Amino acid sequence: MAAPASDTLLQQFTGRKTRGVLRFVILGLIAGAAVSSRLFSVIRFESIIHEFDPWFNFRATKYLVQNGFYSFWDWFDDRTWHPLGRVTGGTLYPGLMVTSGVIYHALRALTLPVDIRNICVLLAPGFSGLTAFATYLLTSEMVASPSAGLLAAAFMGITPGYISRSVAGSYDNEAIAIFLLVFTFFLWIKAVKNGSMFWGALTALFYGYMVSAWGGYVFITNLLPLHAFVLICMGRYSPRLYVSYTSWYALGTLASMQIPFVGFLPIRSSEHMSSLGVFGLIQIVGFVEYVRVQLPNKQFQTLLRALVFVIFVVAFGGLVVLTVSGTIAPWSGRFYSLWDTAYAKIHIPIIASVSEHQPTAWPAFFFDLSMMIWLFPAGVYMCFRSLTDEQVFIVIYSVLASYFAGVMVRLMLTLTPIVCVASAMAFSQILDTYLDAKIPEQGAKENGSSDPAKVAAAVLPDGLRSTRNPLVGIYSYASRLTVIGASTVYLMLFVLHCTWVTSNAYSSPSVVLASRLPDGSQHIIDDYREAYYWLRQNTPDNAKVMSWWDYGYQIGGMADRPTLVDNNTWNNTHIATVGKAMSSREEVSYPIMRQHEVDYVLVVFGGLLGYSGDDINKFLWMVRIAEGIWPEEVKERNFFTQRGEYRVDEEATPTMKNSLMYKMSYYNYNSLFPAGQATDRVRGVRLPAEGPQLSTIEEAFTSENWIIRIYKVKEPDNFGRDHQSATAFDKGHKKKRASKRKGPRVLRVE
Amino acid sequence: MRSFSSLLSCIAVLSSFAAAELNLSQPLLSKQVLASTFKPPQVFKNVNLVRTTNLDKGFPRETINVIIENVDAKPQSEYYLPFESSLISRVGGLEVKDKKSPEKGALRVEVVGFDTASSTEFYLIHLPTPLAPKEQQTLSISYSVLSALKPVPAQISQADKQYVQYTFSVYTPSAYLTEKQKTKVKFPSADVPDYTTVSAELNAEKKADPQKQGSTFSYGPYDNVPAGAEELVSVRYEFTKPIAHASLLERDIEVSHWGGNLATEERYWLSNLGASLKNHFSRVEWQKQSYMNPPTTALKALNVPLAAGALNPYFTDDIGNVSTSRFRTGKRESNLELKPRYPIFGGWKYSFRVGWDADLNTYLRKLSTGESYVLKVPFLEGPKSPEGIQYERIHLRVILPEGATNVKYSTSVPIVDSHTDIHKTFMDTIGRSSLTLTAINLVDDFRDRDLIVTYDYPWTAGFRKPIVITLGAFVVFTAAWVVGNLDTSIGKKKVA
Repeated sequence: MAAPASDTLLQQFTGRKTRGVLRFVILGLIAGAAVSSRLFSVIRFESIIHEFDPWFNFRATKYLVQNGFYSFWDWFDDRTWHPLGRVTGGTLYPGLMVTSGVIYHALRALTLPVDIRNICVLLAPGFSGLTAFATYLLTSEMVASPSAGLLAAAFMGITPGYISRSVAGSYDNEAIAIFLLVFTFFLWIKAVKNGSMFWGALTALFYGYMVSAWGGYVFITNLLPLHAFVLICMGRYSPRLYVSYTSWYALGTLASMQIPFVGFLPIRSSEHMSSLGVFGLIQIVGFVEYVRVQLPNKQFQTLLRALVFVIFVVAFGGLVVLTVSGTIAPWSGRFYSLWDTAYAKIHIPIIASVSEHQPTAWPAFFFDLSMMIWLFPAGVYMCFRSLTDEQVFIVIYSVLASYFAGVMVRLMLTLTPIVCVASAMAFSQILDTYLDAKIPEQGAKENGSSDPAKVAAAVLPDGLRSTRNPLVGIYSYASRLTVIGASTVYLMLFVLHCTWVTSNAYSSPSVVLASRLPDGSQHIIDDYREAYYWLRQNTPDNAKVMSWWDYGYQIGGMADRPTLVDNNTWNNTHIATVGKAMSSREEVSYPIMRQHEVDYVLVVFGGLLGYSGDDINKFLWMVRIAEGIWPEEVKERNFFTQRGEYRVDEEATPTMKNSLMYKMSYYNYNSLFPAGQATDRVRGVRLPAEGPQLSTIEEAFTSENWIIRIYKVKEPDNFGRDHQSATAFDKGHKKKRASKRKGPRVLRVE
Repeated sequence: MRSFSSLLSCIAVLSSFAAAELNLSQPLLSKQVLASTFKPPQVFKNVNLVRTTNLDKGFPRETINVIIENVDAKPQSEYYLPFESSLISRVGGLEVKDKKSPEKGALRVEVVGFDTASSTEFYLIHLPTPLAPKEQQTLSISYSVLSALKPVPAQISQADKQYVQYTFSVYTPSAYLTEKQKTKVKFPSADVPDYTTVSAELNAEKKADPQKQGSTFSYGPYDNVPAGAEELVSVRYEFTKPIAHASLLERDIEVSHWGGNLATEERYWLSNLGASLKNHFSRVEWQKQSYMNPPTTALKALNVPLAAGALNPYFTDDIGNVSTSRFRTGKRESNLELKPRYPIFGGWKYSFRVGWDADLNTYLRKLSTGESYVLKVPFLEGPKSPEGIQYERIHLRVILPEGATNVKYSTSVPIVDSHTDIHKTFMDTIGRSSLTLTAINLVDDFRDRDLIVTYDYPWTAGFRKPIVITLGAFVVFTAAWVVGNLDTSIGKKKVA
């Protein structure tokens, strides 16, 4: 962290080349730090893909590498969403997979046969180094001081807000998208500054790459027009802006339409309308500017007013008409939830059920950004002072991203780059001021209006005696040491905080859980993989597995078996069907499962271990989503007791106790305990003395710590009975025989 | 290497499984084909034959001690040993020794068969010195039969005892007249509920057949059994142990002169041929049972004893590291204790991969004559257990350093195929020479056999890689310098 500071020191007596090399070395070190701070999970566990979505990306990448680009493009996946299948090639953002594929083939060409899994695991850390570099470039465009850029790069490299989505193994779209986001912004700023078509085209190129990589490209699609719009409103229209915006919009839109998943959205959906609108506006403004040069002032004013009014009415009216008539797609649900945080909860439970779509809790800001959260406003304020074109961009970006980050946890990611840039600007201002060893002459001090010491003096009232004749001058070593010392401490604390957060919060693969044995050694709870590997090895290749959608991608990736629903969640009805099967009685669920050719049902149960992310805790979402489609058959109310409690013990409602999910979770569980002692360690309750009975499915496998339980769906009964009566018959038969023995025997003895 | 091969193995899983499954119907690779009218010339007779069938392990091990006599007028050296064609593809590790002088090593044996779908195929034993007329010689023939035990009943409960059935002919198959013969069957325990009794009339001593003696049964003796006679009997006995069966083992041994390292990686496609579960697997019962640790048909753990000095072991499968392994190092040997992700019950499969490093100096020696090296490695390592493990097919690949030539090998393990080709991996320009050996139907008794590979490796070949990398880096820097000095601007050049 002290490196940028020393760079400023050396600036005074080293040549340009030396400084260039030094900067290069520092950036290299920052990239190194960025990469290595993301490797906690690889060192602690292993090189493994994390969480849920990355498993799909990994599977898709493997498909790409094995079958080539064109068959990937046309990939119809019949092993997910059984029996519907998914047009995978047309419904994903291919940027991530193609990037890994290109790296894979490039390494092959260099005779470095690296496993595709390792490429996928290390892609995000690798790109984080590039992100740091891109942040350096972006910041360097904003301020003259090179130390701000280096600081911003360092901040970006290690800030937890970004690390949370880019640790090794977190092979998600965001892994490369944040780099592309920052780099596109850099190119945009460069284009606006130079008014160069070349930079505009480059912006479009990277924008196209970004579109292929992440759905968050819409952020750029709206931010760049907004920047242009604000500049126009500020009366800063210039041919530079015209050239850069039009070249970006025309090329970028064409590029984005090449992605099948995006297709014609850029001209049809409301989310893209602002960029189109500004594109139109900038033509008009350009025309008006041209006319102004030709016409006298008075006539021009009248013309302008009329023109603005007509265009506004026509454009707005047109937009409304097109939206109502359906030519322009209305806003998507995820977008509505950006404006109204309660929207999703009411209308689309499936979006609300994802934890990363929840509104951000305010401590998360400090958790993810640490000291930058208070440096950030200072940086934005500094932008207001000179407010050049590019600094307007920072202001807009900050305002927008701050709002979005507050609405959705996941969008903290888009806020992070600008926070890094702004706080680095603020911080470097402090460092530059106080590390400068030269004492300016008195005269210079009078004139230097941007000198912070002067500013401070101007702010403080003149009447105070201490300010009139300062006891300890601002240029004394004591004051310098204090400020620099404090800054250093802050920077160190920042590093500590980042390391701590990364190590504790963001470096768990969630596929494997770690615990400590009494002797302090690490014990790994590997139930997920145990069960998935069992499925992979010991079930037929096309055995359909039904589980809640959270586990769909993992089953596809690790167990390699067809699933009914997965994390893609494109078909709400199908998910609701699974929800209904899980939340209904066996008599209702069995036909559903037979109709969907389900062979195995997988549930996650944390009761034995105290693993709270299990299916009973997610159960209410299944009920809610099922209720959305079948309000008559599944009712959330019935899962709560009279007093409105969600219970699993003796007091649980009959609906709860009879639901397939409840039965599958607790089946046979009480035989693990002495009679009547069965305890659920997650809910912390004692379970009913008698465990649930299953008739249509049978337990096939349970993992070591009972986290995963797999059930086999029974074939129809050989005698054509329903399973309930078959089971009852089997049981009754035994009981009858027992009673018979008792009864007649007494008679016969006599 | 590890990462590279893991991907390959992913792809290879399906293909190799298919290959492994086909093993039974595939003809053996090296054999001599005889006309279908072929009948072995009746030049020998078996004077006395004692066969011992050992059923201790998960596969029957047969030992035949036979005194043969030349009944022809001329000296003879070719002795035929017949097998049914369905059986011969499961017979493994057949070795013949001269009982009188076992120190001379095994005799040369090859497989001969009919060209049409005949029911009989032969092993041809070449006697080192032709046997003169009326002379006698004692042969000791040993082999094991794979996939020979059939669990009866085929489905049992999780805690039940397992019974397996073995069917064989009490008349030892022979192409010649056998004057006197006897078969001893050694069971792992005295719990033998079912066995075929042979009518006493066939017995030479007219006694009840078989004779029981603790856990050993003996069938016979029988007199003057003609060539090709067969009398099938079955025995069913308790065997509450897993029957571990690897349908394929791929074993890579990589020699690195620069690193002074010998890297070994083994990929197993393992299954348990025991009785499958009648009901599904019950974790409750398994956990309750685990306190008592009774004998079980499930394969819970595998012990791989490694040579002393083994380093950096790993145990992974298709979806990553298996954390339940333990590595114990000692002065005299190291032990790798592997615990599969789940207990492998009958009918279940588990494929995995283990690997480790070792110091090359222990295995490699430079010959005093020039630039030749001798590598001595075990042909087979892998798990060791009292119930044994059978390998249907083994692909052993020895990857030598880039530039190694004149590769030769010798081993006492019966090999069905061998070839050398090129293996390209990290930073190779011409690729490394690799020697691939294929063996089929081996059992873990062959663990201690060595493989000796000799090759030439000139010292200049060792510098190929550093030079190539240096040149490559130099080219990159030069290209960067040239590109950096290009001026591509369109406008007029500014004069500073």
